[in-house]
This record gives sequence, C-alpha cells and structure tokens, in this order.
Amino acid sequence: MKKIRVFLMTGLTLVGLASLGWADEPITNWLVNPEGPLARQVRSNFFFAMVMIMPFLFLAEGLLLYAIIRFKAKPGGRAAAFHENLRLEVLWTVIPALTLAITAVPTYQTMRAMEVPPKSDLVVGVIGHQFFWEYRYPKQGVQFAEEALVVPAGKVVTLNLSSVDVVHSWWVPAFGVKQDANPGRITHAWFQAERPGHYKGQCAELCGKLHAKMFIDVQVVTPEEFEQWILKKKGVSLPPDTTRKS
Amino acid sequence: MSERAAGLKRWLTTTDHKDIGILYLVTSLFMAVFGGAFAGLLRAQLSAADLKLLNPDLYNQFLSMHGTLMIFFVIIPAMAGFGNYFVPLLIGARDMAFPKLNALSYWLVIPAAGLMFGSFFVQGGTAQTGWTGYVPLASRQFSGTPGVDMWILGLHLVGLSSILGAINFLVTIINMRAPGMGYFKMPLFVWTWFVNATLILFATPVLAGALTMALTDRAFGTGFFRPSEGGDPLLWQHLFWFYSHPAVYIMVLPGMGIVSHVLPAFSNKKIFGYKGIAVATAAIGIIGFMVWAHHMFTSGISPALRAFFAFMTMVIAVPTGVKIFSWLATIWGGQIRFSTAMKFALGFIALFVMGGISGLTLAVVPFDVQVHDSYYVVAHLHYVLFGGSVMALLAGTFFWFPKMSGRILDEKLGNVIFWLVFLGMNITFLPMHWLGIVGMARRVYTYRPEFEFWNQVASFGYILLFAGGMLLLYNMFKAVRKGERAAEDPWGVYPLQRTLDWSVSSPPPVENFAKIPEIV
Repeated sequence: MKKIRVFLMTGLTLVGLASLGWADEPITNWLVNPEGPLARQVRSNFFFAMVMIMPFLFLAEGLLLYAIIRFKAKPGGRAAAFHENLRLEVLWTVIPALTLAITAVPTYQTMRAMEVPPKSDLVVGVIGHQFFWEYRYPKQGVQFAEEALVVPAGKVVTLNLSSVDVVHSWWVPAFGVKQDANPGRITHAWFQAERPGHYKGQCAELCGKLHAKMFIDVQVVTPEEFEQWILKKKGVSLPPDTTRKS
Repeated sequence: MSERAAGLKRWLTTTDHKDIGILYLVTSLFMAVFGGAFAGLLRAQLSAADLKLLNPDLYNQFLSMHGTLMIFFVIIPAMAGFGNYFVPLLIGARDMAFPKLNALSYWLVIPAAGLMFGSFFVQGGTAQTGWTGYVPLASRQFSGTPGVDMWILGLHLVGLSSILGAINFLVTIINMRAPGMGYFKMPLFVWTWFVNATLILFATPVLAGALTMALTDRAFGTGFFRPSEGGDPLLWQHLFWFYSHPAVYIMVLPGMGIVSHVLPAFSNKKIFGYKGIAVATAAIGIIGFMVWAHHMFTSGISPALRAFFAFMTMVIAVPTGVKIFSWLATIWGGQIRFSTAMKFALGFIALFVMGGISGLTLAVVPFDVQVHDSYYVVAHLHYVLFGGSVMALLAGTFFWFPKMSGRILDEKLGNVIFWLVFLGMNITFLPMHWLGIVGMARRVYTYRPEFEFWNQVASFGYILLFAGGMLLLYNMFKAVRKGERAAEDPWGVYPLQRTLDWSVSSPPPVENFAKIPEIV
C-alpha cells in the first residue's frame, strides 16, 4: 500500500515536471504543493481513491487488450459457447461495491473536514464581481478590491462568499478550496496556509466575457507582516465602489 | 402505405420509420460538421496562450453552441435515428406505433436548428453562457441578446421532439413486439431504447419547465431565479441537472445497446449475461435520476445533499461495471473478426472505461471540488460522450450502413478512420485531465503560459479527429454511389444471433415483413 503510494506520487511528480508548470512561482499545483492540513487531507483522500479505483482501470483495459490479442479469429477456429456464469456476475457486482464502500470512508471524513472548520482566526468576506474580487475584513475594518488577498501564515482563514452579479467560483488549487459565490446567499469555505508565499487561482464558474481573466492572487505573509499590512491598509483604505453593478 | 413516393417528395412526406431514421441520421451528421467546426475554432484559439484569433465574445458563443449542437442536435438525434430504424425492425414490427407523430418528432428538429443557427445573426449574437445556461448569467440583465431567447425556444422544440419520440418508442416496444417476443427476449438495443425512452419521458418535461421559467424571467420579469424577487439561481441548477444528468444516459444507453450487438456479432459468440445487461440498463436508468446534484458539489448545497449524491454516484458505477465486465466476457474465448465496426466497439470499451473511472473519481467529493469546472471535467465528459456515445455511433454506422443503404462502407478506409479517431481522441482529451488537475479552468478563451504545452498537444489531436471526420463523410459518399452491394446478412451473423434486422433484405422492404415473424 505504502509502496503503491510512493510509486503514484513519483509518477505524478514526473508528469508535473513534464508539464513545465509546477516549478514556476506562483504556486498552483496542489498535488505537488498542497498548502495546509485541509489541502493535504484532500490529496491523501485522492491518492487513497486512486489506489482503490485504478486497479479496475488496469484490470478492464488489460483484459480487453489480452482478449484482442489472444482471441483473434483463426481459420478453422471455434468460438467458445458460454454466455452466462452466475458466480462471475455476482463477483463483479459485489467486489466493486465493496471497494467503493471502503473508498467512501476517508471521503466522508474529508468532506466533514471541509465543512466543519477549526476555530477561525480570521474571517474574510469574498464578493465576486464581473470580473474581479472584492475582499472585506469585517473585524479589522479593511476592505478593497482588485488586489491580492493577504492572509497570515498558519492561521485558520474562513471565507464567507457572495456575489453582486452572476455566479462566480473562488478557486485556489493549492489550498484545496473551490467554492461558488452566488448572488443572494452566502457560502462558506476555509483554509490554513502554512508557508508564506504567493498563491494563484482563478474564477472557475463561467461568469461572462472576461471569465478567463478573473484571476485570484493570495499573498500569505507572516503574522507580524499581516499586522503591519492591516495598519497600513487602514490608513489608506477607501470604501470600494460596490455600486457599479447591482 | 405500401407504395413509396419518389425523390424529394419521398423524404418530405415520409412516415416510414426507416426513412425517418435516415433523416435523423443525416441531420445529425450535418450538425456534427458545424459542432466539429466550432470545436476546431476553440482548439485553434487555445493552441497558444493569449492568442487573439477569436475575441472573448465569439469564443464564448462558439463554446456554448459547440456543446448545445453536439448534445441536442448530434448525439441525441443520431441515437433517435438508429432507434427509429432498428427498434421496429428488431421487434418484428412494420413501423412505429404512431408514424405521423414520428414524422412530427423529426420535423420539430429542423425549426429548432434554424433557431440555433439564426441566434448567431441577431444583435449581440447567440448565448455566451455555455450549454448549461446558468442564471443569472443567462438572465436579461447579463445576457440581453435575443440570441438567448432563441436558444431557449430551440431547446424547447428539440425537447418536445424528444418527448413525442419517447412516447412513440414506449408504445411501440410495449405493444408491437412480434408474437413470442417477451421482454427478456428483446434484443439489447431495444432494451436500451426502452429504458432510454422512459428516461426522456420523465426527465425532459423538467427541462421544459426550467426553460419556461427562464423565458418568463427574461420576458416578463417573473423572478423565479432572481434573489431580489425571492427567487434562487440554484433552482435553475437543480432543475437543469435533473434533466441533464439523465441526458448523459440518454446519450450513452442506446450506444451501449449498439455495442451489445456488435461485440457478439464479430466474436462469433452470444452476448454474455444478457439478463444482467438488461437489468443493469434499467438500474442505471433509475439511479440516473438520483445523481444530478453531483454537478453542484461546489455550489453551496447542504452537506447532507453532498453526502447523498456522492453515495449515489458511487452506486451507479456498479451496474456500469457489470456491463463492462459482461462485454469483456462476451469477446472472451471468441473468434474475433476485426471489422471496422468491431474496432469501434472495442475502442468504445477502452475509452468508456476511462470515462467511467474518471467519473468515479469525481464522486470523491473533495477531489471533485478541486477539479470541478476545470479541464479535468472537460476530459471526463469527452471520454464519456466522445469515447462512449460517438464511438458507439460509429460502430453502429459501420455495422448497420449496409442494412440501411444496401451498400458496404469501405473497410480499408474504415481502418484509417478508426485509427485517426481513436488516436486523435486520446491526444486531444487525455492531456486535459492533467491540465485540470494543475489548475486550468474550463470555458476560458485563454490561459496562463504554464498550460501552453498540453494545450498545443490537444489542439494537434483535433487535426487527426478532423481528418477522421472528413474521411468518414467521403467513405459514405463513395459507398452510396458505388459501394459493394450488401446481401441480407453481409456480416454473416444471423445464424448465431438470430436478430431480425439481418433476416430481411438490405435495405428492408417497405413495412419490413410480408408476414410478421414468430419468435421461438
């Protein structure tokens, strides 16, 4: 089991290298660089599911390939006559069902972790606009738009998401977070980034003409830097223009 | 009617199920040329980062129409085409139960297609909302163009066409089977259409309701989907996917039926686990109604709903697995003849398994949340709809073309077409799994430079698919004009399979059977 995981991991890393993407800053790749406990749990849930499910892919494709090579028609050859086998049919119903039941266990645990955040250290309101993001720090009294979200490293950040126009989706792969921002309701997500750095994402729900350019930047800084950033922000903070779209 | 009008009049006035089947298939092929061309434009724009080939407005229009055409005007009508032609033939009936209703079902598709094409030419162009038409993006406020209204009305018409067709199929299959043909003696293509028609009958009216709400929201400001009027955008998503998830099975079940004929025919064996496949088909049909919200795992639905729909999505994999293993057991120990139809059927298994497995990973909610609305989903859905539905349709085309036209498609050319399509499909869509995992969102007219390499690979794959498509058209054109003549049973499958399609001339006479056959 452990060996398979290492093997899988190495393979994915190699593909990652080949894709030229992962070595570049900023960090987007959650398989190579999952950031924080939630993203790591999502990744291990994914690997576990792959270990459970992939054998069926190789089994089916392998049997198919074998049959294609082995059972090519030969002159004078006779086809087998069997066309049912109850034991076989029960087996290939029950074994996949059991496998999926096992896969479901860590899946439900991870879902619970996604839905029930630990005690929040920082609450940020995220508001989608065509085609930019607005962020509000209610407790700190800071709000701004069209700039990077800044959060302190190691802290639990909870997001309350909404939208003033169409459905958007806030997606930062490295944090294991994707959550739609709907008009008329508030949705929730959380993450805990441990390492300071620059993380990139983008809007994931088609939101109109410039959807492709609706990027997300997150700057994770040390808690001290965060305090200073808040103070600086407060000095110059202006209420953002939220009236441009209703 | 036993006399048939000649020339154009025949095609405009026909109520013969075989002629209507051919009309559906030709229409579907015609629409596939446009759907495929739009895909080509998308792949051209994505062949390099920040290319300025298409502006974002046009890109989003072609993107929306590529999906709409391929689903509602290519795959669904093509399945209806084969269904029309072969369901009555396979159950030993002379026609569908309601021939005139059948003609109406077909002719509704034409004005619907007219609305879709016409919507490009109104001010503001057609819908830019993707084929899913999510509100509020598709509301009047954010998509003022009358193109969206035309898109809605066009979908209404194809929906009506589907519903009327489904009623016809159900009545035909229930009432018009030849004496002696019990339900568990029906060929599997008939079984899949039986379940399919039921799905269409229960799912499509829900789409019609949702479309009507969207239309009145746009035209009269009713506010079904507007929070400021007490409505909810998520209501659209629920209603839309309540239809559109079963629609995936509507697009793939008859294809599974086709494959269940082709595989035993060219393995010189009987289908393995006939009852298992029939029951699995029905199970997929029922469970298929209980998985729709897996398209909405990131939308903010409640944890209980996420848990339920994740569970059901895993459950539906089980009957699907039963089918795949049964097909493998069908060819096991056989004497496989690698005709083009058989290659496409084997290719179907290879690719549909991939699509099924990637679909299963999407039931793992935490992973789904990561890759939802990314290129991973684009890869997955093309493995199911191209690797599944289209490969099965191509298998059916090479298998049944001789029956429908009396001419055999060139097999050598068929081999080239198969390899172009099979390789092109994998080169185009396999890299998209990876693009999605590393963070490329879907429905984007451009992307960050780090995604360029695999996008270029995907765009190259399209060239192979395009060549395959063109060669297929040429092959058909050539066969109709001077192809080898087909006898009753050109593949030599009747002695073992005993399906009635191979018991009559190619093409079959008007009303198929001089005397209704008895099934023993």
